[in-house]
Amino acid sequence: MKRILPIMLGATLGLLAATSAFAIERGGAMTFARYDDSTVIDPVYADRNPDLWMVNGLYETLLRNGPDGSIVPGLAEAHEVSADGKTITLTLRSGLKFSDGSDLTGADVVFSLDRARDANLGPWAGLLGAVDKVTADGNKITVSLKNPDPTIISILATFNTGIMPKAAFEKAAGATDQEKARAFFAAGPVTSGPFVMKSHVQGSSMSFERNPNYWRQGADGKALPYLDRVEFLVIPDDATRILKLQAGEVDAAEFIPFARVGELGADPNLKMELFPSTRIVYAPINTREAKKDGSKNPLADVRVRQALNYATDKTVLIKLVTFDTGKPMTSLMSAATQLHYGPEPLYPYDPEKAKQLLADAGLSGGFEVKLTTLAGSADDATLFTALQQMWAPLGVNLKVEQVDNPTRGEKNRSGDFDIHTYGWANDVNDPAQVTGWLGYYKQRQAVGTGWNNQEFNTLFEASNIETDPAKRKGEYKRMQEIYATEAPLLFLFETPFAVAVSKSIEGYVQTPLGANDFSEAWRAD
Amino acid sequence: MPSLSYLVARLLQIIPTFLLVMIFIFLLVRLLPGDPAIAMAEAKATDAQLEQIRHNLGLDQPLPVQFLVFVKNTLTGDLGRSIMLKAPVTEIILSRLPTTIYLALYSVVLAILLAGPLAFVAASRVNSPVDVAIRSIFQVGLSMPVFYIGLLLLTVLAAQLRWFPVGGYGKTFLANLYHLILPALSVALYTSAIILRNLRASLIEVLDADYVQFARAKGLSPRIIMTRHVLRNALVSTVTLLGLSIGNLMSGTLVTETVFAIPGVGRLMLEAIFARDYPLIQGLTLTFAVLVSVVFLLTDVVQSWLDPRLRQS
Repeated sequence: MKRILPIMLGATLGLLAATSAFAIERGGAMTFARYDDSTVIDPVYADRNPDLWMVNGLYETLLRNGPDGSIVPGLAEAHEVSADGKTITLTLRSGLKFSDGSDLTGADVVFSLDRARDANLGPWAGLLGAVDKVTADGNKITVSLKNPDPTIISILATFNTGIMPKAAFEKAAGATDQEKARAFFAAGPVTSGPFVMKSHVQGSSMSFERNPNYWRQGADGKALPYLDRVEFLVIPDDATRILKLQAGEVDAAEFIPFARVGELGADPNLKMELFPSTRIVYAPINTREAKKDGSKNPLADVRVRQALNYATDKTVLIKLVTFDTGKPMTSLMSAATQLHYGPEPLYPYDPEKAKQLLADAGLSGGFEVKLTTLAGSADDATLFTALQQMWAPLGVNLKVEQVDNPTRGEKNRSGDFDIHTYGWANDVNDPAQVTGWLGYYKQRQAVGTGWNNQEFNTLFEASNIETDPAKRKGEYKRMQEIYATEAPLLFLFETPFAVAVSKSIEGYVQTPLGANDFSEAWRAD
Repeated sequence: MPSLSYLVARLLQIIPTFLLVMIFIFLLVRLLPGDPAIAMAEAKATDAQLEQIRHNLGLDQPLPVQFLVFVKNTLTGDLGRSIMLKAPVTEIILSRLPTTIYLALYSVVLAILLAGPLAFVAASRVNSPVDVAIRSIFQVGLSMPVFYIGLLLLTVLAAQLRWFPVGGYGKTFLANLYHLILPALSVALYTSAIILRNLRASLIEVLDADYVQFARAKGLSPRIIMTRHVLRNALVSTVTLLGLSIGNLMSGTLVTETVFAIPGVGRLMLEAIFARDYPLIQGLTLTFAVLVSVVFLLTDVVQSWLDPRLRQS
């Protein structure tokens, strides 16, 4: 009996999955309202989120990310890492074709990866910094590294390593790579991903059509993608995007403000999706001994930073800002990031502890702190008002400074701030990117905080060449512990990606990295 | 019609205006805090990458050098490459400009159609309930922000009643008449309120003037009095106002085009400012300057046609 039960359960589930899969109907179109347009969907030149979140729709990578973030085969049906970690051998599937029917070969892979790692071209070349040489022999691809790089497998599933057609690209008009890329994309590019681009009116609309030569199959054994067409409309205003969805003029709208999640969730014609994301909202704290103006910086004392964290009631902030769609941070990285370690929410609300810590730091008389926020951001305004009230009992006088995004970026880089608001979403399915950005001093002075922790830096450097997964996991655990204790941030919360979808559309996914994945979407009515 | 020399003189006046606009906008965008390299690379670039971006954009050159390059390129018709959209500024603006001009003209026509007849009705029955009602309604139009009117129209007429599409842009001239009616209307409501107030006031004044009284006494038909004497004189100040409000209207498109998801130069300007896209901001400002200058020139021409006294000065 013990054995039969799981089998029967498995069979029932399998049957259910199969019947729902059989119900999938091929064809049809869906319309998707975006908050911003793409400027260039070249895997190498894409640099803003609206660009790079679209790349995988057009260009397939050698490896792919499974729904749970694991690495699964992509254009390469198998991959193997050598014992010394310095050679990766990949086997291309047979019979792969580009959208124009031409064969996808090793030469295309070498071309694409060489282009992706050329530091003179795109902003993401650094991700392939460890690569020494890429060669192809038939369907065998060999990636040789200068040093072992545990992130390389994730990088081979990252948008910038999407495989492009060498011949078609080189045939495009222009002398430089930039000019060729422009001509290539303007002409409706040859692709390797689920879709081809049919039209693009900058700032207004874009249209993807099904790539008839795409290799993947769906759960029902039919060729992907199911949809014939995806139409994108660019609608920057949140309210208009939602109105358009409610009027039935579009099938889905992204970046729904959290304030409206409840309302749309109650609409019988819609599904309010909250996709798990790697997005975190936090506030970097200036940890330098002196402020930019030369005065003494109380935030240099770790006890003061911890006190501010304890004095912040995250559950209230999550309610106020994310309307209960968010959750508290448990580490420097989101819980959806690989190698995340954080057994419990960081710094639960404890005003008494905060008071004690400030007294220990000799600041029981209070002090003044400036919070730099984004002008015009309702979320930041709420955050400021709430923090001002939460911190006032400690004698912390919170002042606000409102700036726009480029100004905030400049202040971060020059260290001219006390605390400012910020956010992040991973671009790569590996913790090295977010960890390097938030904590590694040599990269950008630990997200501009000036926090310089020797042990953390050493661990980070070691983890970047660590090929033993267990050891690397241990290094990440320790880094996250150090970071949590040292608190160079005000740890705020994680938020999901909120997308409202019409009831008639199934299978649309926004991945934890933010990518819009239409490859398995279908129209149910 | 105004003389040729008048037109030439007016055209020549535009040159120093442009030079001033160029200096002004060049300095202004550089006075904005924040750096296009940071805005462009967002957070994730290293300092070395930022240096490279600044170098590629020529932003590491001294300001006077940057200015001379800007002037020289502009004179040859090259407005540079957009940082954000990675394409020539001229090309981008030309592709987006027709939409905005269409929207602006549409709004003006709607505003005139709304304000004109109602101003006559109001002026011919001063202080009657009809006059008060017309003025009150337009007072509301004047005091509400354009984006708010836009959202109200969208919510009621588009999302609930579904008479019109929610934002967007059609493909043909006629399709656009339908697609752009709500944005045009939301801008027109504001403009028409200004025109109505002004036209009503001047009509009342002119209707009361001695020469109109005299014309009536002569026994001329009301239609001839209206077209020959009243309208022509009442329109002089309204035309000036209309010209000025078209300048306003261009800035109104910044908001309207965002709310209604219309890919015109107004929305582009907003995006360019947020991205600190210097070449694009400069190019767009120059374009706005050209458009406003042309409108003012046309206003002057129409005015001097309506009122020959203006030609002498």
